[in-house]
Amino acid sequence: MSQKYSNPDHLKRLVDYKDAREYHLKKDRRKRDKRMPLSEAIAEFVWDGDIFAESGFSYVRTPIQAYFEVVRQQKKNLTGIGSPMSNTSYFIARDCMTGIHLSYVGVEMRGNDKNFARMIKNKNAEVYSIWSHGSMAQGFKAAQLGAPCIASKQLLGTDMIKKNPYVKVINNPVGDEDDPVCMIPALFPDVCIIHVQQADRYGNAVIYGPAVNDIALAAASRKVIITAERIVPEMTIRDQGNACIPFWYVDAVVELPYGAYPGCCPGHYYWHREWWEWLIRIGTATHENMLEFTDRWIFNTKDPYDFIEKLGGLRTIDKARRLVEAAEGRSDDTAISFHYDEVIPKWD
Amino acid sequence: MGKIAPANPLEMLAYNLSLLIEDGQIVYVGTGLPMVGAMLAHQTHAKNITMVFESGGQDPTRGCDMPWSVGDPFTFRKAPMTMEMANSFGQCALGYVDIAFQGGAQIDMYGNVNTNVIGSYDNPKAILPGSGGGNDIGSLTEKSVLVGLQTPDRFPERVDFLTTPGYLDGGDSREKAGLLGGPIAVVTQVGVYDFEPVTKRMRIKALNPGMTVEIAQACTGFELLVPDKIEMVEPPPDEVLHILRTIVDPRGVFTKMPGT
Repeated sequence: MSQKYSNPDHLKRLVDYKDAREYHLKKDRRKRDKRMPLSEAIAEFVWDGDIFAESGFSYVRTPIQAYFEVVRQQKKNLTGIGSPMSNTSYFIARDCMTGIHLSYVGVEMRGNDKNFARMIKNKNAEVYSIWSHGSMAQGFKAAQLGAPCIASKQLLGTDMIKKNPYVKVINNPVGDEDDPVCMIPALFPDVCIIHVQQADRYGNAVIYGPAVNDIALAAASRKVIITAERIVPEMTIRDQGNACIPFWYVDAVVELPYGAYPGCCPGHYYWHREWWEWLIRIGTATHENMLEFTDRWIFNTKDPYDFIEKLGGLRTIDKARRLVEAAEGRSDDTAISFHYDEVIPKWD
Repeated sequence: MGKIAPANPLEMLAYNLSLLIEDGQIVYVGTGLPMVGAMLAHQTHAKNITMVFESGGQDPTRGCDMPWSVGDPFTFRKAPMTMEMANSFGQCALGYVDIAFQGGAQIDMYGNVNTNVIGSYDNPKAILPGSGGGNDIGSLTEKSVLVGLQTPDRFPERVDFLTTPGYLDGGDSREKAGLLGGPIAVVTQVGVYDFEPVTKRMRIKALNPGMTVEIAQACTGFELLVPDKIEMVEPPPDEVLHILRTIVDPRGVFTKMPGT
């Protein structure tokens, strides 16, 4: 059952712990089978105007295939947040996202995202506040702790503070000497999709590898969609005893093998580095390229299987499996090569 | 081992980074040259260092290749545990991280770093990715090292936007702002810089082979402090170059000069 937010102003709702609490109190917390197809989960739980949190780490266990479905369904007026938030660029390019709380949009050594830079410069999306990874992570963590705010040693002395209306520098109120701290409010996104290796039908979820901010995000967000490589029996998770997200946080469970591709899913597949280079070096180069790129990889694919077929099929995904096993030290890696041909941009 | 080619500028940079790492330290690592420097230190004079990463990877074992990202599986290969991001940065404030490395589009005379916008904020010339973990590492870590290619544009007197604090306006302004630790060095293709203890202004410490004070100044947008005595970096021994080229970065992903 969908319910409205008590606070309609998304800029205030982001830090409104009472609104988040009200929302959580009204959620149906019965232990029930929440499995549904991806398209239904996105249609029901991602709303126009939502504060939309990116999870995982850019291209590591990030629910990229679910993000593509959000774009295909043409959700509108989303506000992006997350640390990092490297998938922001295509949401803005395809008119889904009109504002962001910025921590980092880029692909490290693959290069800067020119589409993101162009879209912000042309005011296609507004930057509401500027953060570092760690200060934003502390905001999500404060929410998980049930604390309205947290005193941080990050952001002090910077220009980010001048472009962030949410934070405030004060003297440590519980210290007895001069000790400036940056007060960071707890951050409450409206919706977060989280990709995990294992979940049961109720939403108990297991993450292998870095959880990044996802445990905190699952607690903080009003609505949570889990996409999972595997749906396992509840008793499997009880035997392991290692769920890090409890079922009562979760609104929908989607069985979605390859849901993090073309990113990496630890334990399952390595990231497709060439695809990311195409995106950054060719796709983001011009607006026309970005539309062509997203047409090809988002609008003209219907699901992860279709996407993988377009990217080389079984050979591609099996190579991704072998690479992740070698990288994680789970196979004899002596004959595995991580070499790949760097993509030379045509329009740089 | 026969005669081998002398170090190129990127190899010199990685070598200088490696020399800043002491055995036994816990090192906060980013991708690219900092990773190469840390791995080179680990393969040479600092066999007992521990590497930690912002995505949460802690103390991975060495694999057949290097991480392609700070979230790559190589960052948590056979790791005893991983940490959530907030906790991983927390270690820098707790005093468990000795040294960290970071780059930036602009580095100024007090070691402040800009990774947000070039030009004015409201009418920028270029929009950059944002802080990422840069601010967190630079605000908290006991010793941070700035890494960059040195040109007058990239080394202005004042950063256009202050993302990661160095010594802010110099003197005791960093301490007064409530920040912890601070930058100890800047490493570029020209050499190694430190910060004069009182003013906290960037100062030449050591120059790479073939470099001069004039070259260093010509690559800088502000006046560098020049001490009475400047060290010259000895070229890396052949064994070290051999390890760099065959074990650390055998395909030259990070240390091969572009276009060669």
